[in-house]
Amino acid sequence: MILWAMPDSGAKTKEDHASFVSLFKQEYPSVDLTVRVFTRNVLWRRMFSIKNPTHEEEIPDIIQIPHYWTALLVREGVAANLSELDPGLSLSECLLPLKAHCYQPGTKDIYSYPWWFDLSALHYRADHLKLVTSNPEKDLSTWQGLLDVCEALREKFSDVPGYFPMQNSDWRGSLSMRNALPCVWGRGGALLSADRGETLVGTKVFKEGLHDYITLALKNYMPILRERGSLGTMASGKASMMISRKQGVNTFSARRGLRVRTLPVPTTGEQSHAYLSAMNLFINVRSQHKKDALKFIKFCARPDMQLKYAGMIEAFPAFESAFEQFIFSSSQRLQTYTGILSTARTLPNITVMGTIMEILKRILAVCATQIVENRFTQASLDRELDLAAKEIEYLLSIYEG
Amino acid sequence: MLDRKSYTLYKFHKQLNQSFQNKRSLLECALPALRNLFKLDRVYFFDWQQERALLSLKMMCKKEYCMDMQEDISVLNEPVFLRQLLQTGIAETTDLSYPALYVLVKWERPSVELKAGEIHSYMQERVGVLRLERFRKNRVFTNAEIDLIKDLGLEISHNLRNTEIDQAKNQRLRVSTALNDLSTIFASSLRLNDGLELILKGVQKYFRFDRVRLYLTDADGSKIKSVLGVDVSGKVTHQDGRALHEGEEKLLKEVFESSATYRSVRSVVYIPLKVQRNKVGFLTFDNLLSRRKIGYLDFISLQQFATQMALTIDNARLFERVQELSNYDELTKLPVRRYFNEKFAEELYRSKRFDLTLSLIIMDIDWFKQINDGYGHQIGDWALKEVSSVIRNSLRQTDVPCRFGGDEMIIMLPRTNGEEAKIIARRLQERIHAITLPDRYTDGEPVHLSISQGISSYPQDGLTPEVLLEKADKALYVVKQNGRGAFAVYREVAEQAEAAVESPSENSAKHPAETSEKSPADASSHPEK
Repeated sequence: MILWAMPDSGAKTKEDHASFVSLFKQEYPSVDLTVRVFTRNVLWRRMFSIKNPTHEEEIPDIIQIPHYWTALLVREGVAANLSELDPGLSLSECLLPLKAHCYQPGTKDIYSYPWWFDLSALHYRADHLKLVTSNPEKDLSTWQGLLDVCEALREKFSDVPGYFPMQNSDWRGSLSMRNALPCVWGRGGALLSADRGETLVGTKVFKEGLHDYITLALKNYMPILRERGSLGTMASGKASMMISRKQGVNTFSARRGLRVRTLPVPTTGEQSHAYLSAMNLFINVRSQHKKDALKFIKFCARPDMQLKYAGMIEAFPAFESAFEQFIFSSSQRLQTYTGILSTARTLPNITVMGTIMEILKRILAVCATQIVENRFTQASLDRELDLAAKEIEYLLSIYEG
Repeated sequence: MLDRKSYTLYKFHKQLNQSFQNKRSLLECALPALRNLFKLDRVYFFDWQQERALLSLKMMCKKEYCMDMQEDISVLNEPVFLRQLLQTGIAETTDLSYPALYVLVKWERPSVELKAGEIHSYMQERVGVLRLERFRKNRVFTNAEIDLIKDLGLEISHNLRNTEIDQAKNQRLRVSTALNDLSTIFASSLRLNDGLELILKGVQKYFRFDRVRLYLTDADGSKIKSVLGVDVSGKVTHQDGRALHEGEEKLLKEVFESSATYRSVRSVVYIPLKVQRNKVGFLTFDNLLSRRKIGYLDFISLQQFATQMALTIDNARLFERVQELSNYDELTKLPVRRYFNEKFAEELYRSKRFDLTLSLIIMDIDWFKQINDGYGHQIGDWALKEVSSVIRNSLRQTDVPCRFGGDEMIIMLPRTNGEEAKIIARRLQERIHAITLPDRYTDGEPVHLSISQGISSYPQDGLTPEVLLEKADKALYVVKQNGRGAFAVYREVAEQAEAAVESPSENSAKHPAETSEKSPADASSHPEK
């Protein structure tokens, strides 16, 4: 049986997978499970080719996906109907914001099952921030406050070579839509209208929200398109803050004895909205091992395994009992994340959602290059967003969401 | 005797001396080999993205395994190490806090000294870069190691090149085989639409497009007549050209006017289908949902295939037209006898199988010979045309009329019993009676046309085409014997004939045909008058 997974814990993904799979094999010694790790980009492309594989291509049995790809995979006919495979399969224990992303839209048929989820937040080095503010909670509650703190930090650490106030948490070291969305939401913008019938990508608030985020790169507060690990990292002392999901923050803070604090992402409007991203598992409709694949999915959803894997990759369990155990185990964690979770937002489970994110990712990639080349203009970004809005409208019309 | 360096190179060469399926498999072999050879902590392979001047990380090798990773490094952010990399094929100057080495994997290297602004233009497509890291013990790379690594980088570049060539060849072979298979399937399809569905599904499957659509034009190529599509789920959809959005309607003009139909950045390709100057339609392939670019090789293959497809569609259309001409009588535009016989046999079979009724009307124009002789063949032809036009416009879509010969016509009425057939016969009788010969031929006196009709029904009157035709003809004969301009149902005629045999005195006054409704166009208006 083959599992296609994403690098959930960066460079130590393989090790984490190996130890998790060994737990599965202890219980199901007869089931052979091999894990292949692909980036989201590669998986996205492969989602369109697994339906008709050539004879030399591997056919995966289970695939890890961002939760909002479910509708697309059902539409394509590549995801097996889990409710048919096991009519007793239920999502009653699953956290509420994650449920809608498991069904075929408009039905109660489960096509993907939650594995883990994460929330974006602002993490900062307490020792660094102490040098520029006595009240980080207050100063970092607004976007302008964040920019002011960045400026103060840069002055404070002007003698540290390769220092940037913000670490870039994007895997590619580029601009990331996932990190930009809280800025857009903060200003009252959104990707789609409430009925999901039209896009709001071309609206003024959306453009302003995106610009807020890009300012971090424009003002050189955050490195982009540079060697990862060389500049602007919190662990090495060459950065003081980072907007990212929980992953990775605990590890280096514990390892290096650093005090890293977490706050909601500073808002550009009245309320802060974190980006909630979840990872689901689905079974390939062409799999010859659907029963074993279902065993693995159920194994991953078990409270003890939820806690185990979420702990390994530093994310949150996706099911209630495990999540509660996890969040109540630390008062600081409870205090920090309860508020963040209550106002968190996610992306809708519609056919074209993955495509919309791809379109916007491309725009941000172009922006990043333009910023590096010193030729970025807001007008060109606005024009790109207007064109993207038209493209998205067309996609929404042909795929009806 | 080989020295140490040559031996290492030879061993590395042997390790890579195999046929790799793709770049990934090659790297999965080469990167761990490098890691072991130089006791590296990690080895990375970056692709070169020409349009964005980026090194884009593809794969990382750590311990005994490789995995996909992401990292983008802009050339413009790192001009110093990149210039060194291009000049010497190796760069040691990086911002990392531990020993790391960048090695160029490229087929051609610039021999001249580079200026800062020229870096971008010298980095060509299909170039890769290796990053070798030693962070655990901070062991720096010795000159001997650097020397060897450069040569191994060259070895990898040659293998990469060969793998890419092999891959391109295999891809081309796969595409040719696929298109050849599709052509065979298309050629063996009995019906054009079935063939087209198979083709579109096949193209989508082999080329992995999100959607494939075929727009077919009308006979003169000015409007889109229909659209056949295969969507992302592989389902086939049919759409009437009249139901298209305005934008799609405009496509026809745009596709045929545009000379450049391929753009590398696009995930949509339009290919016009034409035979000489005839516009047959156009094909569109899109990856709008997946955002994958459509490769030039695929485009070229599809273009060649489209030429073949256009010819086949055009031929099929011609064939359909010829068939239409051979199946229809040119004067009356009614199906001919051969076509009718086929349909009659099919329909009778269906009626038997599903226990359905079926009726047959056989008719001729009253006094047709006299019309021909008295007013000329031109008027005879005119009368035939008018009568058949009424027939065509008075029937259901499922009914099949036919010109059986001369002025004799037959109508097959599926799922119709004798009583229902009478309603149709009456309607025809009335409508045809309303036709008058043109004034200029009749000196202003109105001369009405009339018809006589005989009806037989399955299963009451017969079970075979021959018997049903014979019975309808007998009923017609009775009508003609009784003065024309009327219709009769065989069963009724037969029953009355039987009754007449049993009690001749009672029935002798009334002929069966007279019991049918008589046309008002009786002798007073027939053309002989």
